[in-house]
Amino acid sequence: MEQHAPQSLPPRPNPSHPGVMAVDITDNFWAAVKTLAPGELVKDGHFTLFESVGALEIMDPKMDSGCLAEGESLDEEYSVTRDLLPEEVLGIMDQLLCLEMAWHQGYPLSQTLLTSVYVEVLTKTHPTTIEEVTFTGSSETEKNLPTLLFALKAYCIGLLKGCDFVNELVKDELYYEEEDFVTNSFGRNILLYDVELRPVNDMLQKARAELRVMNNKPSKDIAMALDIRLELRIAFLRAMELSALRTANPESLKMPWIQMHGLIEHIKKQHSLGKPVPDAFSTKLQRRLASTLPPRPIVYLSFEETHEHFRRLFKDGKEIMDVLKYSDPQSLLTFVSTFQARKPQPLPCIRTLLQNLMFKDNVFLGSYTIRQLIDHDLSIVSLPCATQLDLANDTIEVPTDPRHRTSNEMTIFRQRVEECYLDVFRIFCQNRCRVRRTLCHNIQAWDALQADVEEIDTRLQELLAEKPLQTESGSVGYSLPLSSWAYLYKLRQMEWIVQLGFELSVYQTDELAGMYWYVNYLAKTRAQHGDRIKTFVMRSLTASRASNSYTAAKDREYMRTLSYIRATMLDAACTWEFADGLCCLYTVLNRLGLIKSPPRPYSNDALRYEIRMKPFMTIGLPQLPTFDEFTKATAQPETAVDALLTYAESAVGGAKKGYEALSKMTDGQTFSVGCHGRWLANVKDCLKAAISAGIAVTTLQKTIAKVGDGGELKLKVEMPEAGKGYHDWWIVPKIVPTG
Amino acid sequence: MEVARVTELPGELRYIQYEHVLEEQYLPAIRALISKDLSEPYSIYVYRYFLYQWAHLCYMALNPADNSLIGVIICKLEPHASHSPPTHRGYIAMLAVSSAYRGHGIATSLVKMSIDAMAERNADEIVLETEETNLPAMRLYERLGFLRSKKLHRYYLNGNSAYRLVLLLKPMSLGEEHQSD
Repeated sequence: MEQHAPQSLPPRPNPSHPGVMAVDITDNFWAAVKTLAPGELVKDGHFTLFESVGALEIMDPKMDSGCLAEGESLDEEYSVTRDLLPEEVLGIMDQLLCLEMAWHQGYPLSQTLLTSVYVEVLTKTHPTTIEEVTFTGSSETEKNLPTLLFALKAYCIGLLKGCDFVNELVKDELYYEEEDFVTNSFGRNILLYDVELRPVNDMLQKARAELRVMNNKPSKDIAMALDIRLELRIAFLRAMELSALRTANPESLKMPWIQMHGLIEHIKKQHSLGKPVPDAFSTKLQRRLASTLPPRPIVYLSFEETHEHFRRLFKDGKEIMDVLKYSDPQSLLTFVSTFQARKPQPLPCIRTLLQNLMFKDNVFLGSYTIRQLIDHDLSIVSLPCATQLDLANDTIEVPTDPRHRTSNEMTIFRQRVEECYLDVFRIFCQNRCRVRRTLCHNIQAWDALQADVEEIDTRLQELLAEKPLQTESGSVGYSLPLSSWAYLYKLRQMEWIVQLGFELSVYQTDELAGMYWYVNYLAKTRAQHGDRIKTFVMRSLTASRASNSYTAAKDREYMRTLSYIRATMLDAACTWEFADGLCCLYTVLNRLGLIKSPPRPYSNDALRYEIRMKPFMTIGLPQLPTFDEFTKATAQPETAVDALLTYAESAVGGAKKGYEALSKMTDGQTFSVGCHGRWLANVKDCLKAAISAGIAVTTLQKTIAKVGDGGELKLKVEMPEAGKGYHDWWIVPKIVPTG
Repeated sequence: MEVARVTELPGELRYIQYEHVLEEQYLPAIRALISKDLSEPYSIYVYRYFLYQWAHLCYMALNPADNSLIGVIICKLEPHASHSPPTHRGYIAMLAVSSAYRGHGIATSLVKMSIDAMAERNADEIVLETEETNLPAMRLYERLGFLRSKKLHRYYLNGNSAYRLVLLLKPMSLGEEHQSD
């Protein structure tokens, strides 16, 4: 069950306040208690499980942080002004680095940086200026700190200020407290929020200068190691400071990240020069915090792990600056989704920094309005060279003029979609579990949005005097470009939900056939929808070409949309073919008993279908297939094993060809500008997965052919370990002979 | 530490439903058994929160030789309304079997008893969370018919993620009709 206790409570009342009248209730309490049997529970309706989990037992050393052992003192007896060897200063810095990383990973300050006696002393007086941040408590004596101790102090302050930037960054964006990250600083100015950046930088530089000229110099190697650690702190602060300058050249914003990426390698090599000082860290410091938390252990990451995480953090920090090189919204979505799909996922501070770069102050990427973004997206997906997007409409002031009314309708449209649309980008910046869960809610919003937007489409088609499209096979209706755009987004999100289910190992092995069938159903719907959009774009293109006003610029815009639709339809076709192939393969494995279902005495297939499809149950379009339709389509009872495998072979083969074709297309054609490398790697992983699925099908076919009808197959199915297959979204079984 | 496993159970185990009068006799043992696998102990309020309100959904497996506690399951059942439509939701909060006695189906028996008890009391569904690394627990529940409905990132204090497991006992659409009645 849930183990989280509430982390923060309101500050304790101050009983010495003049307005507070203390009354001794001991006697009343004892009298009341006597009427209860031991263990009898008295609670009001608001006392929930959450409260009971937060309750502590006084005098239990595992819960009561103030509970002392015989002869134990309440406070740590370590003196921060004690003499330290140079290697000990180095050791403490590296210990702090490990704790800093543990904090980045989501552990609270109380179990990480605040277990440092040095950090605790520096911040216990609630300093608001750098002069107040002291080891000795007096600014006079502080001036005479020995050089090494001053270097350690500067390091600590630089570290805390850097964490402060991160903490504020995280708090500004969408993240999940305690799940991704703990921003709680326990009512104290631990991260030196009020202390300005400039003096922190000056102090770091001063510490470096003093180390260079100090008497009784430590060995050259250790002096160098200390200097590099101080340099890291400066670079980190610089990186965070620069990230606010989104209009600057992205290459220059990368500089401190590149620098840190180099420094961390030196730090790794120098680590063995240091000597840890375990006494300088203690969980006892938790007792001083405004919190009812039980004592919790220090989170120890090894230095090797710490180095690896920092290395990735710095690399990621550099990489996300490329998001500022905006090309188009579709490429941007590819950028975000491929970046966040990486394993292990980027740390919360990177994920929030990416959000910050995109959305801060509602100025997109520091340069664009949300309107520009939405209009750009529409012009690519369904509305090239469209009257609806003509900026000149805004200048018409005559209320009856169709252009004025068009402009109004588009304003209504943008207001309606803005939040849902931006959420798609934000959702991808969450942890993977949350991406799936949040998308499940978002598709409900998009379903409603699509219906609302269709009304705007209907009003616009009247304003623009659009005619329904007649083809040889009958009427295709109106173009409905806005709701078509919304539908396409909704379909993509629905596919992502199911695919993330594979990635997160949500499905049991015997469910895979059905879930791949559903992916295939969704992708096929997306391809058909792409085709519908294309039909109307072609009509518009033909009409436009026939007019006198057709220009090269217009041609480029039309071609870009056709290119987008082509890439979308190819991607959808790959997905539907591959999913179809895997569905058939798993159906055969289920049928042959090579995959066995658990007995499940308390459940049945129909009830499980309800749980599984719950996110899609209320979606209007595409309607969720009924349980019977789903069962029939998945199990395909009328198709023999041979035929199923033949079909699987050709479907997987089709997917393979599709992925090969995709992989040869350019970044512009596939809307992966600025992230083509990551996008391509993803396509190639899909290709590898398709190839291995082909091998599984062939192995099965050959064995069946060899043993003939009813013969024993002597095969077993090996499922890849989660995350160890070629692609997380394509779970491909291995068929292995047993005899 | 490796725990020596018993190869045979000490005869037919006694499965009994918890009652409040048994608190003095069994609560310390229940706490000891459950907190063994926890990084941070639950306070006595957590146990009483469940045991006092839903004693009828808590079962114990006892050693027939000396009536000592071998396994325990603790649950609750109440209306759940954070998402529509509201359901009568059972929740398996804690399940533990003494490590020496694992592998004999004791946990499965305890879970079955509590599912039966909750079903009898008109539960629509039963849910629980289990640590992503606890494969034996997931296998146990999935064999009975539970499905993983979602993964919960860093759900536990040790930083591990969890799966939410769900067993639907009645069709949800029916539940909706009851609501509108």
